[in-house]
Amino acid sequence: MFEVRRWWSKGILQLVATLLVLPYLLPLVAMVQGSFQGDGWGNYRDVLQVPGFFRFFVNSAVIAAGVIVIVYVVTMLASYGFAKLHIRAREVYFWLLLACLTLPEVVLLTPLFTTTQTVGLFNTYWAVILPLAALQVPFAVLLTRNFINGLPDEMFEAARVDGANSVRGFLYLVIPLTRPIAAAVLIFTLIGAWNDYLMPLVFLQSQDMQTITLVPQFFVGEFSNDQTKILASAVLTAIPEVVAYLCLQGLFERGLSAGAIK
Amino acid sequence: MTVASQRLTASGVGSSSRPRRRLTAPGLPWILPALVLSVGLIYYCIAYTGYISTLNWDGASPDKISVGAQNYLNIARDPIFWRAIWHTVAFFVVTFVVQTVLGVVFAVIMHSRIRLAVLYKVVVFVPVVLAPAIMAPVFRQIFAADGQLNWLLAHVGLGFLAQPWIGQESTALPVIMVITIWQWTGLTFVLYYAAMSQIDQSLLEAARIDGAGNLRTLVSIIWPSLRGTTVALAILGAIGALKTFDVPWLVTIAGPNNATQFLGTYIYQMTIQLAHVGYGAALSIVLLVIALAMAIVLQLVGREDGGGRAGRAARRREREGR
Repeated sequence: MFEVRRWWSKGILQLVATLLVLPYLLPLVAMVQGSFQGDGWGNYRDVLQVPGFFRFFVNSAVIAAGVIVIVYVVTMLASYGFAKLHIRAREVYFWLLLACLTLPEVVLLTPLFTTTQTVGLFNTYWAVILPLAALQVPFAVLLTRNFINGLPDEMFEAARVDGANSVRGFLYLVIPLTRPIAAAVLIFTLIGAWNDYLMPLVFLQSQDMQTITLVPQFFVGEFSNDQTKILASAVLTAIPEVVAYLCLQGLFERGLSAGAIK
Repeated sequence: MTVASQRLTASGVGSSSRPRRRLTAPGLPWILPALVLSVGLIYYCIAYTGYISTLNWDGASPDKISVGAQNYLNIARDPIFWRAIWHTVAFFVVTFVVQTVLGVVFAVIMHSRIRLAVLYKVVVFVPVVLAPAIMAPVFRQIFAADGQLNWLLAHVGLGFLAQPWIGQESTALPVIMVITIWQWTGLTFVLYYAAMSQIDQSLLEAARIDGAGNLRTLVSIIWPSLRGTTVALAILGAIGALKTFDVPWLVTIAGPNNATQFLGTYIYQMTIQLAHVGYGAALSIVLLVIALAMAIVLQLVGREDGGGRAGRAARRREREGR
């Protein structure tokens, strides 16, 4: 964008960039450095030796996988229906769905709390998976419907002329052709589910059900506020996310920006 | 945003000829799962919340006392509610402005062929994928009275600035803002970065030939063509501000003395901790109404001035570019 030719203006730009980026690095440095204070690696050993530490990861993975599967299936079906099939009063349904986009999850607390207890879903994965999926679907449908709208109608007509019904059109046209947008949906659903704090906090009470976002809180109790071990646990829980991001950089950036350009 | 373009396509489909309609299979069964899951669950919850908001109830006892609109009247006179609203507004304005400035500056710099650009990009974006709940203890540590920030200030000769950042009312809210900005600048930056790649290079060259300097190009050409992205980020930021819960709850517990109270944290305190479930439900409904109104207003504002056609076209190009 900027044209910098002279060596000193290049130098200044580089310096400005470095100074601006540094503050973003500092919290991460503080986290890692703090986790090594006191016992050094011993902090990590203590954290890893806490029985059930891996349960947190398993639980988060199960919940994220559940949310992703549900969101993917439901979204693909609905987007195809909205984009290419005939529905009376289609826009009414669509706006009903879109209104959910603005919903803060804290609004769901009380009704879900009482309802999950009556139907016996309290303290099960479902109590977290279903509301999280319900909150993610509207946005995923908005994105995917737009994408499918962009696919030419002629293609679907040709398939029909060749004798394919709507199910085959879905399986052989929609599923393969929506891969780019499906990747974006996958990423922001993953981040939304993996990083969620409020739902597990309220609906998963027993310790062997809790997710990684509850880890710091758990260790505050476990190590009676020993900061270094809490930071070690924070580093350990952050590692999978950072590794996943570094491996799938482009996908993450596209996925999350698809999440912002509505 | 795309809702506008959606409407266009929708009316296009609506006016299509009859025989083609008959050929299209009925779509209702296809959208039914989504409707049952999202619309069903969420509207059920909203309706239930609406009902509870007329009660005086602790959430467990069998006797629910109906109080009509009393909870809402109480909200209107609740100073903590108004403080939470004020915090939300201030929080949105500050985080949005700072993130926008930083995001544009980062995007421009990274587009200007500097060294290590890839590394810088990763550093700025990593916070976006990290859970706020996991980073909270880190920030508690950094901003503590004996934390790294005060240590750093002391070492660069600014020791007199050291203070208990999260422990006093005047600095607690700015700390929450700083954490949020740290977390979300990466997203703002990536979006602006993508939007800037769409700017016609010949336009920039023409401006340069006409004698426009770097700053002039930024103000007159680059910034106006980012309008669509800015509006999208404003909507996202406003809704995000209303949803704020994790960071103030985990870093400052909405305190000290309600100094970082937001609607989300206040509802949580009321409903879960104090068991004023009816009052919490009424607050939820108020929050919901504000969020909906805000989304509609921003949508209209974004569509009106100038953004209109050009903005949508730019966004469409952006989507296809991806």
